[in-house]
Amino acid sequence: MDDRKLAFFTAIEDQGGVIVKGRTRFERLFHIGRSSVPLCVDALKAAVQEAKAGSDILRYQMAVNSLFQAAPNEPEALLDKAWMESKEKENRDTTAHLQAELQGYKNNLIKESIRMGNEDLGKHFEAIGDVEAAMDSFWKMRTEVSSTEQLVDLGKLLVRVAIERRDWKSIGNHLKPLNSVNDSDPKAKALKTYSKIANGIAALGQERYKEAAFCFVEASSGVPPEIYNQIASPNDVAIYGGLLALATMDRHELQANLLDNDSFREFLQREPHIRRAITQFVNGRYAACIEILESYRPDYLLDIYLQKHVPKLYADIRTKSIVQYLKPFSCVRLDTMQKAFNGPGPSIEDELFTMIKDGKLNARIDAINKSKALQTLENYEKQALDRIRRMNIMAADLEVKGSRKPGGMNDIPFSMTTDDTVSLA
Amino acid sequence: MDARLTVLTAFPPAAGIDNEEYYQNSQQHAKRVRELVRDNAQWIRESADDILKHVNPAVYSLSYLMILEFLLQSPGWTSQQAHESLASYMAQFFLQFDARQIRCKGSTWSDVLKEAYSERGLFPASVAVELVTAALLRLDPSGSIITSHHCNLVELAYNTGNVGALLPLIEKPIIYMPAKGMSTAQPLCDMSLPPPAYINPDSQLTDALTSAAVLQYDFLCGLCFIERRMWQQAFDAFERCVTYPTRDGGCSKIMTEAYNKWILVGLLLTGKPPTLPETTSQAAKKIFATQGKPYKLFAQAFKSETAGDLVREFEVINSELLPNEGNVELAKLVLAHYQRWQIINLRNIYTNISLEKIQERTQSAETGAPLPTVEAVDQLVQSMIADGSLQGAIERPKDGSPAYLTFLSSPAQGMSEVEFSAQVNKVMQGIKALEPIIEATNKRLASNREYISHTVKRQFDAAREHKLGLQSAGGGFEESSFHIEEEEDLMSGLPAH
Repeated sequence: MDDRKLAFFTAIEDQGGVIVKGRTRFERLFHIGRSSVPLCVDALKAAVQEAKAGSDILRYQMAVNSLFQAAPNEPEALLDKAWMESKEKENRDTTAHLQAELQGYKNNLIKESIRMGNEDLGKHFEAIGDVEAAMDSFWKMRTEVSSTEQLVDLGKLLVRVAIERRDWKSIGNHLKPLNSVNDSDPKAKALKTYSKIANGIAALGQERYKEAAFCFVEASSGVPPEIYNQIASPNDVAIYGGLLALATMDRHELQANLLDNDSFREFLQREPHIRRAITQFVNGRYAACIEILESYRPDYLLDIYLQKHVPKLYADIRTKSIVQYLKPFSCVRLDTMQKAFNGPGPSIEDELFTMIKDGKLNARIDAINKSKALQTLENYEKQALDRIRRMNIMAADLEVKGSRKPGGMNDIPFSMTTDDTVSLA
Repeated sequence: MDARLTVLTAFPPAAGIDNEEYYQNSQQHAKRVRELVRDNAQWIRESADDILKHVNPAVYSLSYLMILEFLLQSPGWTSQQAHESLASYMAQFFLQFDARQIRCKGSTWSDVLKEAYSERGLFPASVAVELVTAALLRLDPSGSIITSHHCNLVELAYNTGNVGALLPLIEKPIIYMPAKGMSTAQPLCDMSLPPPAYINPDSQLTDALTSAAVLQYDFLCGLCFIERRMWQQAFDAFERCVTYPTRDGGCSKIMTEAYNKWILVGLLLTGKPPTLPETTSQAAKKIFATQGKPYKLFAQAFKSETAGDLVREFEVINSELLPNEGNVELAKLVLAHYQRWQIINLRNIYTNISLEKIQERTQSAETGAPLPTVEAVDQLVQSMIADGSLQGAIERPKDGSPAYLTFLSSPAQGMSEVEFSAQVNKVMQGIKALEPIIEATNKRLASNREYISHTVKRQFDAAREHKLGLQSAGGGFEESSFHIEEEEDLMSGLPAH
């Protein structure tokens, strides 16, 4: 790392460990290098440095190749073959050594050593970029776990690998041991926060925004960032939590869960503009809120977890703002609205058109309440008749019957029973 | 008067006797008429016309019916003239018979009715449909029970294109199913009996039915309603097929075919993909999800802003599915209605909108593009106003500025409070009228072996499944998640049939 960058990162780190540690650091740098024009070369160079500091040759190659395409004249844009060869040999040797060691423990049937052997091997595989093998090795540790603490550590290892594999669904399962730690345990608070943040990232990945928002909001700022900085920084927590909450919560919820939440306010101190945006929204100054967010849109597009969701989250926030803006009015001039929501995005008429159509905005709906009431009553009569009819069909033993024998052991997934009847088990 | 005629007019007895006695009398009378017919076959064959002139079918229905039965079985009645007279006797009978009397002789009535719609061709199909419809409604004016005659009749009417005359029958909601063991201790001629107590295989006013026959009936009703463009009724009919009760994982082919039509008709009726009612069985839901998928995708494309998606999905299903299932015309109609629904839905957003804006905001699914000119929009909107699908008016300002469409309030919106409460009262009365039906059903089901054993079995199955569910949920997180994935895999590999 050159002096300037080193000084920069050190300075940032001195401010309270903002920078994430571990393998996602490369991912983030590489992602920025590939997404941002002005930061491209610098970020890719940093990524090359980061990769070279580790043992993952593939990552190094990827970073160098990208840098070569962007800036072929940079000294870092040439592959350091000697380093690669020596690293490859070193990796191979370490793998063989660790495997032999593990085999030895297995032969001696020493449980604790087998567990540690698997852990070392898994960590090694993770470092050289073979995440599948790492997952396998960590998974094998399960059988040898003998204490809650070990179970918790294993859960964290699995979560880390699952995040790298973007296997969002399994994260909840890996976190179970962390969540079951007794509250009296001094580490419980730290583990809960780790679990909340990991769960938040997983929910974000699966587009369960509201759930994700609550996860981040419930993280405790009193927990030192070192506990979770392998998956996210406290700044990330503030940004993710703030944006997701803006997109999914109403004004009262925002006030109660974010602004009045002492713990989350601490996080928000690190990203004051997010706090400002939330305050503006809560105070009903939607245009100002959207303006602040728009000015930070490019930054958020550089985030590895957030990038994919930025357009959707921003659109949701805008839609919500329009709905909230219209609440006190029975009638608004289109050009007044156009002024209030000036800025990028479709023309306000088109936007309102879509919103009313999708049912997000209840304009004109009241007018048809009467017909709805009548319809409900008519449906009631229809449904009652239908239920009676169904009972009569059953009483006359006229149901369509399948071939599945209730309680039978040989359930077949799908079968044709007669010419007419298809049966599912 | 001929003594033989006196025998024929000896029933019904004078009023004032109870049901039990009436029934006994009817049986004795039927026996006497049978003997008379047997002993005087020649006389009846030769002077049928004179005899039947004396035997008013509205009054002496039982005797008239038995003579008809005899004539239909007589070998000599094959000449054209005989055919015509026989047809005329039958028409008179079925339009006038006394329902109470024929309840006592269900098998004969059924046999003679079958002749009316049989392939023997006593009547042209159009007359047969009208006559049998009238006869069935005479037997059970509420039309609330399905019989084997219903099933045969709807098939005849649909295949011969005589749906119009059938409508009074198929518009009645079917509530009861004929089943054995439904008879009560009360005599069949008791006019206070609910329909299933006297129309069942025991009384022989209907044959026993199968689930396939009931499904086929509703399916054909749906097709008949489509022919008359009665979308709501067609939709309800197909929905009855789709939600037909099943057990042990069963699902019928008719149900899957009905599902496809149900989707298309739903689009025409409401302008959006219909959602499956809660009463749909799980097995059926799973099969619809796989086998009805192309139709579902087509329906989803209907919601899309641009017609292109719908046209693409149409091409996908048009190559194979639509022709095989006879849905081409229906799907084309859906395409034609796409733009109409887009215009109707603008009502929810605009109070008035210029025709140019309509041209810009809506697209024709027949061409996959907006209409070429404002005039074409004008024409389409006018036709929609004319056929009543759109409540609105085209305003043409005198200052020459562009014409625009003003949405008028729908009947429900413009309703005054008094009218509204009158409407509510009407529906409430309908719901109140269900009480006796519910009571009758309840009474019968409470003593119905089949239903009780079914209910007990259901409860047992539910308890068992609940238990199984708990077991698998408690079996550790990795096992349970794996189990779900495995099940999904099995589903995706369903063979098409």
